[in-house]
Amino acid sequence: MGKISHNSCRGRFVPRFRCQSSPRTILLVFALLFFLAEKVTAQANAASATPAQANTHEVVDEVGRTVRVPLVPTRIVSLAPNLTETVYALGLQDRLVGDTDYCDYPPEAQKKPKVGGAINPNLEQIAALRPDLVLVTKDLNRLDTVRALDTLGIPSYSTDAAHTIDGIISSTERLAGILGAAQAGKVVGDDLHRRLTTLQESLRSVPATHVLFVVWTQPLISAGKNTFIADALRKAGAISIVDSTQDWPQMSLEEVVHLQPDFLVFAADQTGAGTRAFEALVSLPGWQLLDAVRNRHYAVISDAVNRPAPRIVSAIEDLAHQLHPASFQDLPSLGKEIVPTNSTSPAGPQAGSFPPPDSLSGTCGMESSCAL
Amino acid sequence: MRPLTWERLLLRCGLLALILFGVVVVSLKMGAVQVSLYGLGRDLIHVLLGRSSAISTDYGMIVLNIRLPRILLGIVVGASLSVAGASFQALLRNPLADPYVLGISSGAALGAIVALIVESHMAISPEMAGLVTPFGAFIGAAITIAAVYLLGMRDGQMESSTLLLGGIISASFLSAVIMFLMTTLSGSNLRGTAFWLMGDLSTPQPKTLLYLLGIGFLLAAGAIYTTSSDLNLLLAGEKEAMHLGVEVRRVRIVVYIAASILTGLAVSVSGAIGYVGLLVPHVMRLIFGSDHRMLIPASALGGAIALVLADTLARTVVAPSDLPVGAMTAMAGAPLFIYLLRRRIA
Repeated sequence: MGKISHNSCRGRFVPRFRCQSSPRTILLVFALLFFLAEKVTAQANAASATPAQANTHEVVDEVGRTVRVPLVPTRIVSLAPNLTETVYALGLQDRLVGDTDYCDYPPEAQKKPKVGGAINPNLEQIAALRPDLVLVTKDLNRLDTVRALDTLGIPSYSTDAAHTIDGIISSTERLAGILGAAQAGKVVGDDLHRRLTTLQESLRSVPATHVLFVVWTQPLISAGKNTFIADALRKAGAISIVDSTQDWPQMSLEEVVHLQPDFLVFAADQTGAGTRAFEALVSLPGWQLLDAVRNRHYAVISDAVNRPAPRIVSAIEDLAHQLHPASFQDLPSLGKEIVPTNSTSPAGPQAGSFPPPDSLSGTCGMESSCAL
Repeated sequence: MRPLTWERLLLRCGLLALILFGVVVVSLKMGAVQVSLYGLGRDLIHVLLGRSSAISTDYGMIVLNIRLPRILLGIVVGASLSVAGASFQALLRNPLADPYVLGISSGAALGAIVALIVESHMAISPEMAGLVTPFGAFIGAAITIAAVYLLGMRDGQMESSTLLLGGIISASFLSAVIMFLMTTLSGSNLRGTAFWLMGDLSTPQPKTLLYLLGIGFLLAAGAIYTTSSDLNLLLAGEKEAMHLGVEVRRVRIVVYIAASILTGLAVSVSGAIGYVGLLVPHVMRLIFGSDHRMLIPASALGGAIALVLADTLARTVVAPSDLPVGAMTAMAGAPLFIYLLRRRIA
């Protein structure tokens, strides 16, 4: 770019305009702006540096990060529905000061201050709640969120992705310890272990039912063998026909027809939704090729099975009762077993409105009529 | 049209800067957490006077540690995308050219996803971890830019329509690869990718990265600005420009590389934000004319204004949740683009 081009700009430009000086000035202005910005942020950092808290200790969370957390956190924000449920199950709901839009169980959790979704929580809202501990899970939350919390000096504790029911229970107990409620954690954990043991004894003599767990119908998505859902099915006396190492494999109808599951299992927040999902599936071309569809062999269980929280054991019990009703007929306390015995959760009564009674009898009735 | 003088340039830029300042103040005030204008003013004065200890820690943390860095990021990203768009439009003499259309954004997204996958298999120190994704995105953008450039070359000449077509094809190919990776590798760390593909400013970036971004912007935008008179002549046609003494080849290389750096930097921290690079230069051209000595600084300021505004909306419309800012720019940008298009035809 020489002088020539300036003076020959179609006569529109007057030579008075000195192009060379403007970039330098603009550079200078921007440099000044950045200097100012730096000054402001540096001072803000100095202002927000909180004094070292005495009642803290260092712990290693489940993803291997060393984090400094309060001995007894009193202002907890949960960024995942299953963690919210766990906090309630441990009876620590009074210390929960915020959760996500998706934290719908127990119903009281919906009334807590919301910080947005699990994947896109609002950092401002979290900071405004002044939490002394934020709970996250590798299953659901983003690494970016955790890093952002680190930058802001807000301690966070992360649980790992759960692969087994035992893993969920021990993770619950560990979390209870972090929250300064190890005793409550042991009570909840022991109760869950006891119920699972009772269940295994009832199911000892029956062969496992082959099931297709339907996560999504269009496209058909099921759960892979390494997920805690596959383990929940095993615990309920069922085995998934899906043998995939992917967590949420997309299945082709051909493959399902070839594998012929005995039962289809749906998870729904209410019984009606599960039945509707089944009817929608049945009306699709090709599905009549499945014996399970023709015989209307399907079970609907609570969507608690999708969440790695203590409540999953109730869903397992429910499924076991639906798949193997004969194994439980001699038990007098059947109805009582299904209702979660966790007294620390104020949501106990609501849990009683699970699908079991209706769907149980409904499935049995259909089964017997179809067996003719 | 009156000739552009030094005074008019400064006046117009000053006006835009004033608007930007107003937008920043509004943006600082708006958000999921309510902040009074009085409190904001008082706190800002405290900070400027060096008495930040007087700020209530809550607001100090939210406004200065969360909102302000995000706004600064929006300013730099918006300015970068917009200047890159203006340069590409001049260079290719095609009003459709922008980083998004040229496939650079998709390349960066793919780079970021590959970096995420690699990162999960490697032990990286926490300080470095935040830099891996932006680095991957930048590499992805650089490779795509080079590939699209080679696609657009024919007999040693750059053909703008071939280049644009090459960009569109590359973008769709890269999107397919991204879909493939996301379906086969359903690892948990790919969850944020959807946000990334839409463009998102909500993730606070490491400080070092912000400085890198600022310096990169100044250097690249400065380099483009030195060629602004040549770009004016290029608009008349390459042959004409060459006869008027423009070193077309050199200008083309400088602008192409500088605009690519701008895009790569912006995309590496914010994902694929569309429409800012396409639309802002058009609007600025309508207001201030197509003299690049005016257009480039105006685009920088206008892009900053547009993106900070869009991000403020993204933060507030569904509060307390965050919307990806790319969804916001596309929702506002597409109708505006159609309006401009109709107006030009009529």
